Amino acid sequence: MYRDLREFLTKLEEEGQLVHIHDEILPEPDIRSISRAAGDIPNGPAVMMDNIKGYKGMRVVMNVHGSWANHALMLGMDKNAIPKAQFFELLDKWKKYPGEVRFVDKAPCQEVVVTENINLFEMLPIFRINEYDGGCFFSKASIVSQDPDDPDNPDKENVGTYRLQVQGKDIIGMQALAFHDISKQLAKAEAENKPLPVAIALGVDPVLTFMASTPIFYDQSEYKFAAALNGIPQELTKAMTSNLNIPANAEYVIEGEIIPRQRYAEGPFGEFPGSYSGVRRQVRIKVKTITHRKDPIFENLYIGRPWTEIDYLLALNTCVPLYQQLKEQMPEVQAVNAIYQHGLTAIIATANRFGGYAKSVAFRLASTPHGISYCKNIILVDADVDPFNLTEVMWAISTRVRADKDVIVIPNTPGMPLDPSSDPPGMGNKLIIDATSPTPPDSVLREIRMVDKIKGSEAYEKVIADLQKAIGR
Amino acid sequence: MKCVRCLEDTATKVANAPDGSGAWEMYGCSRCSFTWRSTEEEHVINPEKRDPYFQLDGVNIDDLLVLVPVPPLKK
Repeated sequence: MYRDLREFLTKLEEEGQLVHIHDEILPEPDIRSISRAAGDIPNGPAVMMDNIKGYKGMRVVMNVHGSWANHALMLGMDKNAIPKAQFFELLDKWKKYPGEVRFVDKAPCQEVVVTENINLFEMLPIFRINEYDGGCFFSKASIVSQDPDDPDNPDKENVGTYRLQVQGKDIIGMQALAFHDISKQLAKAEAENKPLPVAIALGVDPVLTFMASTPIFYDQSEYKFAAALNGIPQELTKAMTSNLNIPANAEYVIEGEIIPRQRYAEGPFGEFPGSYSGVRRQVRIKVKTITHRKDPIFENLYIGRPWTEIDYLLALNTCVPLYQQLKEQMPEVQAVNAIYQHGLTAIIATANRFGGYAKSVAFRLASTPHGISYCKNIILVDADVDPFNLTEVMWAISTRVRADKDVIVIPNTPGMPLDPSSDPPGMGNKLIIDATSPTPPDSVLREIRMVDKIKGSEAYEKVIADLQKAIGR
Repeated sequence: MKCVRCLEDTATKVANAPDGSGAWEMYGCSRCSFTWRSTEEEHVINPEKRDPYFQLDGVNIDDLLVLVPVPPLKK
């Protein structure tokens, strides 16, 4: 599908999902306000800005993944595809792992090489995303690093999205939490007092960005996943200052090293739960080289009070691994909707193999690697309820739940530190709401008969939609 | 110069508008890592008007929480 960001932008433009702002704007607050607006419009477009005061001649693109329409186009689907259809499409593509990687010479990302007088504030049109952020952040970077004990193992080469704060002309602060893959690699390097080489790729193909924010296993390759989802080989090249393999068609690649055994003030940053993180001491990257394409495009995203672009990058890619892990031993599971704040709330559609089974499904979710910390509110609905359709979910809760037996709270479990209700940060509770219909030997309180879905109504949906279109709606 | 967040005399100019327009300058603090642009809103860059919740004056940087601890050195 898309070799690079530019091919995807061309597709978005063809589909009416990319607009350009040529009027002169200020880095702050205008880029923030424009990006917020693009994300708030139903099926809002990506926005390219090319007339930023003080940064004349540079371009910023925002909201590239910021709507279900753009997300569908990333998956090669019709832009009107509903989230549930996108979930199953992603699941199909997921099964094609591993895809192929291909090394290229004369990579576009190295058309221009800068090794001296590096000044990030002047070389990229950066801006403060939210007004009380500690500085200008890269919120959509793909950060490449290797396992110091196994540097030639391509499957352990990590590509992850971690927030990056530009703190000096050639200094970048990074937040990596203890459970992030890069932290395992950093711990090994720091134990030997060695710097960890990193490459920060900005403006890569949309599927690689998507995979960089997906929780996959440590020895699974984001590059091979991106290739599988994209249906074409992932093109890589060697970094200029390290052994790292980097996306050949990135707009910018910032190469550097994490300074070992030092921590510096970082943050705050308006995070995905919609609240600011605190100021903490985090690692710093010392930049050695910046390479970029000719006339590069700086891609970033707005993150703040949900729903924002980040939510699309933490949505179906959170659902699919959870679904697969459940489905492995619980084939009754039909679909998992964990699109809310990286799965802090998750809705599972499942059949009840026997009485109480749905609650076991919830326990299973709460014990998956991601679910342990993240999935705290778990809602179970019947197999014929679409968990992505909140009207159906609320119907299930309204008509199935008897709180005395269907609502359970398990106290003092792991929590997600960035969740403002996690107190102390990292501790939490599990809430289970079982909105499935009771199955024997559970007592079935009253016999009821469901009104069946109307066979044949789907065919009329298109007829009516076409009629509506014909009268100009 | 004085940092607008931690109020220590640890900030310097880090950039000028790269297009030569003189549209703005950027400043950064080596102590608390805060950076700001001269054209930002008053409630972001004026210490008097910033929300005190986000100020770091009087805070010892070494006392801030470390999220990923430094591991022991391998012998």
